[in-house]
Amino acid sequence: MVKLTFVAPDGSQTQIDAPEGTSVMKAAVANDVDGIVGECGGAMMCATCHCYVDEAWADRTGPREDGEDDMLEGAASEVTPLSRLSCQIKLTADLDGLVVHLPEEQL
Amino acid sequence: MALAPLDTEITLDQLTLDPYPIYRRLRAEAPVLRVASARRTFLTKAALTKLVKDDPILFSSDDPNTPMKPAFRAHTLMRKDGDAHLAERRAINPALTPKRINSDWGPLYEQLAADYIGRLPRGEVVDLFATLCGPLSARILAHILGIPEATDDEMQRWSQRLIDGAGNFGWRPEPFAASDEANDQMDALFARLAPQRIAEPDGSAFSVMLTAENPIPLSQIRANLKIAIGGGINEPRDAMATAIFGLLDKPEQLAEVKAKGAWSAAFEEAIRWVAPIQASSRLVTADTELGGFEIPKGETVMTIQASANRDEELFENGEDFFVFRDKNPHQSFGNGPHHCAGAHVARRTVGKIILPMLFDRFPNMTLPDRQAVQWRGFGFRGPINLPVVLN
Repeated sequence: MVKLTFVAPDGSQTQIDAPEGTSVMKAAVANDVDGIVGECGGAMMCATCHCYVDEAWADRTGPREDGEDDMLEGAASEVTPLSRLSCQIKLTADLDGLVVHLPEEQL
Repeated sequence: MALAPLDTEITLDQLTLDPYPIYRRLRAEAPVLRVASARRTFLTKAALTKLVKDDPILFSSDDPNTPMKPAFRAHTLMRKDGDAHLAERRAINPALTPKRINSDWGPLYEQLAADYIGRLPRGEVVDLFATLCGPLSARILAHILGIPEATDDEMQRWSQRLIDGAGNFGWRPEPFAASDEANDQMDALFARLAPQRIAEPDGSAFSVMLTAENPIPLSQIRANLKIAIGGGINEPRDAMATAIFGLLDKPEQLAEVKAKGAWSAAFEEAIRWVAPIQASSRLVTADTELGGFEIPKGETVMTIQASANRDEELFENGEDFFVFRDKNPHQSFGNGPHHCAGAHVARRTVGKIILPMLFDRFPNMTLPDRQAVQWRGFGFRGPINLPVVLN
């Protein structure tokens, strides 16, 4: 299991434990984290699992996947260099303690 | 393991008139059921419908042998999987993003909504389904697609003929004759407009697809536009009509929606309550198992998202329209690779522009007779009339 922290726009934090191999989006949905919708289930088709990777973790989560840039164009909130679709971030032991920030809105 | 039970009593007429009591029973008694009249295996629980949509390898959309192909005169992205689907989907996506909608198109949509709402008569019974929901949906879509030269009537007629053709599982000649005529008219319009959309790119779907760096073939550009016409009018129309009905039928909720500006929540609840697209088909590509029953390769399963949206495991009092639910994980836009490409457009136009504007212009709108509103549809569903008094 790896530890994962979601920071809402108002600063409130939600900490969860999630199994390795799952995605940040699936972990959020499974734990009822408000602010990650993940409507398409990880098919990179809806842009409702947008998150901002905490700066301290950006190197470790790696670059965006093929097609992710295009889909992020569809995100409801502002897209920054730290923006990712959380369905494309797979949890590994290396990401234990990962912090991601949630956008104002997903829909 | 056994095959799913076989039902020979449920009729398509029953499902068209009112499927919800049937789905409620099936969720409790037979969530995996082979329904003889539909020649499909119905899946009525949310976990199963989601599981199927999320696994496009095992549950394929790729089926060139449906009436959709003659109806659209094309094998469309709706019925493709993998890279073939992705290439065509990505070609149209840029025209449908929130950024495009908000920054480039928002003012136009506001204006169109204001025009159509502004011409509605006050103080008399008016059928909003026919005068607003259908025509405004058609007009907005015509602009998104880059074919505003088409009239509201043409857009709605083409859409209905494509739908009727695609649903012509009896392979009767008349629906295909009607869809052929619509295809001829659409193809002629596309051919006429293409040079302009290339010469003066305008961010519309047609323009974006034609001027892409590596454009998809013209035949597929046409097919994509037709899919959007067939699938982009009924849904916002029915979502709008359902939301208006729900709010007028529950004045205390309408008051709270107004007070809180909760129009988006009202939109989401409307499409949960009565999903404009109620059911979808997937072809089973390998022997598998669902809900404890054997599902053989070659079978067609039907995900009934209309039922998933009222699943007791996810929704308290799911049969009721209730805007202020804590969570609303409906499946009305589907999930998986075929997740509705128009979801962002629908949420913004219907939820954020049209509903608040309509109730602002007519703060004392009433539904004189809720029994007069008729609901129809098995595959697609919504009111087919909506008589209200505007004040």
